Amino acid sequence: MKKSLYILACLLSFSLLAQKKNVPQESDFYEIKTLPIPKEIYLEIGGIATLPDGKLAVSTRRGEIWILENPYQLENHQVSYHKFASGMHEILGLAYQDGVFYCSQRGELTKVSDVNRDGVADLYEPVYQFELSGNYHEYTYGPVFDKNGDMWVSLNLAWVGFGEGKFSKWRGWFVKITKDGKLEPFAGGLRSPAGYSFNADGDLFYGENQGDWVGSGRVTQLSKGDFAGNPGGLKWAKEPNSPFKLTLEEIPDNGNPMYMAAEKVKNLKLPAVWFPHAIMGISTSDILQDTTGGKFSPFPGQYFVADQGQSKVMRMGLEKVNGVYQGFCINYREGFQSGILRERFGLDGSMFVGMTSRGWGSTGKDEYGLQRLVWNGKNPFEIKDIKVQKGGFVLSFTQPLNEASVNKLKSYALRSYIYKYQHQYGSPIIELKNLPIKSIRISDDKKQISMELDGMRRYFIHELKFPGLQSASGDNLLHETAYYTVNEFPSNDIAVNTWKSIAMEEEKAKKNDVVLEKPKQDKKTTGLISESVAQELLKKHTCVACHAKDKRIVGPAFEEIAKRKYTDQQILKLVYKPNPANWPDYATEMAPMSHVPAGDVLKIAKWINSLGNRKELENRD
Amino acid sequence: MKRLYFLLLFVSFSSLAQNQIALNDLSAFDSPTKNWTIEGRAKGNISDSLLQISMGNGILVNTLRQGKYHREDDLKFKLNHGDIHFKIDFMLPKGANSGLYLQGRYELQLFDSYGKKSVKYNDCGGIYERWDEKRGKGNEGYEGSAPRVNASKAPGLWQHLEVEFQAPRFNANGVKTQSAIFKKVILNGVVVQENVIVSGLTRGSLFDKEAAFGPLMIQGDHGQIAFKNIWYETYDLPSVQLGKVRFQVYEGKFPDYQVGNAKVVQSGDLDKITQKAIDLRSDFLTKFDEDIEVPATDTYQFKTNWTGSGQLFVDGQLLNKGASWYTQSIYESIKLEKGTHHLQLVYAKDFPWGPKSLGLSIKRVGAHWVDVHERTSLPDPEAVGMIELKAESEPVFQRSFTFHKGIKKTHVISVGDPSGIHYSYNLKQGALLQVWKGKFLNVTQMWENRGEPQTSEPMGVVLDMDGKFPLVVDHQNQLDSLEAKDLVYKGYRIQHGRPIFKYDWKSTGLQIEDYILPNAEGTGLLRKIKIVGASPTKSNVQLIVSNATDFAELNSNMQSANSNEYNVKWEKGTAEILKLGNHQFQLRLPLLGEEFNYQIIW
Repeated sequence: MKKSLYILACLLSFSLLAQKKNVPQESDFYEIKTLPIPKEIYLEIGGIATLPDGKLAVSTRRGEIWILENPYQLENHQVSYHKFASGMHEILGLAYQDGVFYCSQRGELTKVSDVNRDGVADLYEPVYQFELSGNYHEYTYGPVFDKNGDMWVSLNLAWVGFGEGKFSKWRGWFVKITKDGKLEPFAGGLRSPAGYSFNADGDLFYGENQGDWVGSGRVTQLSKGDFAGNPGGLKWAKEPNSPFKLTLEEIPDNGNPMYMAAEKVKNLKLPAVWFPHAIMGISTSDILQDTTGGKFSPFPGQYFVADQGQSKVMRMGLEKVNGVYQGFCINYREGFQSGILRERFGLDGSMFVGMTSRGWGSTGKDEYGLQRLVWNGKNPFEIKDIKVQKGGFVLSFTQPLNEASVNKLKSYALRSYIYKYQHQYGSPIIELKNLPIKSIRISDDKKQISMELDGMRRYFIHELKFPGLQSASGDNLLHETAYYTVNEFPSNDIAVNTWKSIAMEEEKAKKNDVVLEKPKQDKKTTGLISESVAQELLKKHTCVACHAKDKRIVGPAFEEIAKRKYTDQQILKLVYKPNPANWPDYATEMAPMSHVPAGDVLKIAKWINSLGNRKELENRD
Repeated sequence: MKRLYFLLLFVSFSSLAQNQIALNDLSAFDSPTKNWTIEGRAKGNISDSLLQISMGNGILVNTLRQGKYHREDDLKFKLNHGDIHFKIDFMLPKGANSGLYLQGRYELQLFDSYGKKSVKYNDCGGIYERWDEKRGKGNEGYEGSAPRVNASKAPGLWQHLEVEFQAPRFNANGVKTQSAIFKKVILNGVVVQENVIVSGLTRGSLFDKEAAFGPLMIQGDHGQIAFKNIWYETYDLPSVQLGKVRFQVYEGKFPDYQVGNAKVVQSGDLDKITQKAIDLRSDFLTKFDEDIEVPATDTYQFKTNWTGSGQLFVDGQLLNKGASWYTQSIYESIKLEKGTHHLQLVYAKDFPWGPKSLGLSIKRVGAHWVDVHERTSLPDPEAVGMIELKAESEPVFQRSFTFHKGIKKTHVISVGDPSGIHYSYNLKQGALLQVWKGKFLNVTQMWENRGEPQTSEPMGVVLDMDGKFPLVVDHQNQLDSLEAKDLVYKGYRIQHGRPIFKYDWKSTGLQIEDYILPNAEGTGLLRKIKIVGASPTKSNVQLIVSNATDFAELNSNMQSANSNEYNVKWEKGTAEILKLGNHQFQLRLPLLGEEFNYQIIW
């Protein structure tokens, strides 16, 4: 009797606690507002321009420019759509300046005007005509205006089983075009440069898609004459007005990381931040620095990088070390309705997110969409910023930390790795190493910690995961993992010697964790895991970003994979070394996931194969 | 003995199974009346209710010579046909009415339906009604099938018709087991009927009963009409007979088809060739062996389809080999003697993607295709719904890639008009690529999925234009293309919903405004090219209205081009026709004032 009472009390207190402590979600802070789209409009958004009169202009892959009234949905949820221009060829960028629109069609940078001011475009003038070979993959993005009023356009490579730029001039390049149509090539080595922008300092950043010569998604800052890594467009480096000379033969193709190639190829520009493939997106698109002065997010000055395939917005924090940009990326908000191609700030500091997934696929299941990302002013518990030190990092947080969580080793999972630089599509993670903690200090306000780590490596991605860190009020981090790319080490560290040194908890705890992390098991006798365990594993290893049980997302449904009747071992092999040719109907190739432990993959494989059996059982009379 | 007789009969048929009817005389027809004559040329203006005929041979004309038509003026071919595929060109004057009776029984309507907004069974390309008095007055007609769209061209122009017809089938007791079918009717390049079953006779049938054979007949009692280029194929000859199939499967990759020491992992007998017999998904090579019986010495065409790679041997001789995708058909022909022949089909697939697919069919002229494979051995094509861009209430323009004369043009705009008259224009060259009437634009290849072709296609009766910049100065030759730095594209402004294209013509110092719109009558396009600016060369600018295989004058400011394929008409000036070569003529106009003004009518 006594015992059962005790249990009841425990349950009560636990449930009370649970009621009090809802686990914070992204949506508790960063709200997504959906703009309704009339059914007959295919708003496959390729460009967005915020208009000063409170309207919004969007351009579409079907070649139209729509002007939306009441896009902020102030009193009325409905938005009014007006077709301003039409008939253009897949407009993947839109800008508005001095009362006229500038947009990129496949073969032309076009100025679109309404001369008689009746609200419908009546003049379509070429600012510049681009060459095209007729290959569909020669996408044209832009323009983005710089401070001088010049326009920047990025030119996608053709796809012929690999990225190829030789068919049409300046494919694989960033070009600058003046309003009177003078073109200046600026930087080369691009593959699929769907999104780019200037930061407040006027520096150009662009997002690259994983693919050939691109081991993983990334953001790179480009200066004139930089070569961003894909040699598909190097034919044009021979042109007299090319800002650099380089040939394909000079590019090492030995599978070593990109930084090693950069030792030989002097203008090969390393990314400011790597976005680990399938974890931090699969197809990096637009980039926008938060210049809203605190309206858009709790992270003014930081960057918001969209991903087309994973329908999410990530956050990127940069610092300049020895004159070189570098920094971290971390998740910010997932769950958008379709594949995000464009981000633009509205007049109120919220962000319009323009989407399309036709032919490309995305986690968001809609074919297209338009949403707005709004911060509701509440303060989430997040990693605010990360600065690199000579031998570690200093992290700041949006809320004071619970010191008791800081001193636990299990609050940290730190490691580093890099990708190959090669002509093959994508890359597995290579040179993976754990980063042992040497010491931790905490600032007086408990909002910063410094970590001294063993084995920091220049040019590597440092995966910083804090599964146990808690705020003083007991919340876990909204996003516990950041990925910092170290290009440079500073000559001077931030002074932290006055900060309190944390004595880390016993080894015992660590051992327990290790046991928890890797329970002993015999691979041969791995049993079938339950649906919920499977889902947990799939989530943990980010499989769910591209696959679902019974529907196609970016990749095939698990039930479809089950139909192939691969053995568990074959699935393991394919997870580690995917063969995109097996799934020719899928636009996005799968990344090698060789960092996922074999034990977990085999469990998943067995579960996948069980889906096929279940279907057969269900179909049995 | 009896069998031999049949064979001889078939041999004598063979040369007639596929035939272009030479219209040098009326010998192909059964007792033609005097109304039917062989002539050299026909032409006519849109408004003419009679064609202008000139002497010669090559065309068949029904002329109003006796003043009034009679039933005997219907023209019967000597050709007695069952299943038939035929192609024919016809020309109607304004208001004309005729028809083609398949087997003398089932009428396909020929009618001057030009310009009609909506069409019925009794319009051009329609399958005329059956007739039954018992249905009661006013309801006698039934089961007519209207053409899908009005694909008519103007009176006085040659129109092209292609028909595939399947005759009714009867059992040994003469009882009909399957009605006749219009498999396909294509009018001026547009499919207007597809697999339409006709349950019985048209009212004007020559016969009162259906039968396996009957003569092709042209209705000749309702007005003038001209024909040329009559081609047909019938399908009454025996074709190959299939035998039993043996197959053997080897596992592995065999890039050069050599199985070497590889073991057979599966083998057996089949009724017909099918990839479904192969248990492996990929990484196999399968050999199918079959003896076929060839009924007569003749040329036989072999069609193969496969996903992967394959080889086809006939009597040990390699007929074709290579890697392919199943949607692509490869044709090869070989002459075979009467008797037994051995086929070996080798099918290998060493990649896992794509469905296994294998097809082999054989065709003899005068017989239908014979599928050597099981139907399910070839997968169905993907079901992709069409995306149609419509121009219903106002003009619509759309840029895309467009194929022109087999070349993909990348800076093309297509302009559609609610009047149903549309065109495509190469912005880089200031040139018309194609003009058409009907529905506007099929954009499926651009807006479905990634749209890898990125092309649009016209939906209607299309005329291919030369795709060249139409102006020259100082009597120079017309160039195939101008350089971008000479002809500088300046964009387009929109007037009444339609674009006016602007160019700087650097080498002449002139500016150009090119405005194309439907003409007032709705019979074609009006093109106005305004020459702006003062330059010494201005007075020497010439417009090239058309490049054609020939021209025929309709009146002083109107010519019919390409053997009456279309007409051109201009406002002012005297045309100069240059002979550039054999069947290469060019019609030029001088610039009078500031603007060229001409029409393309079809």
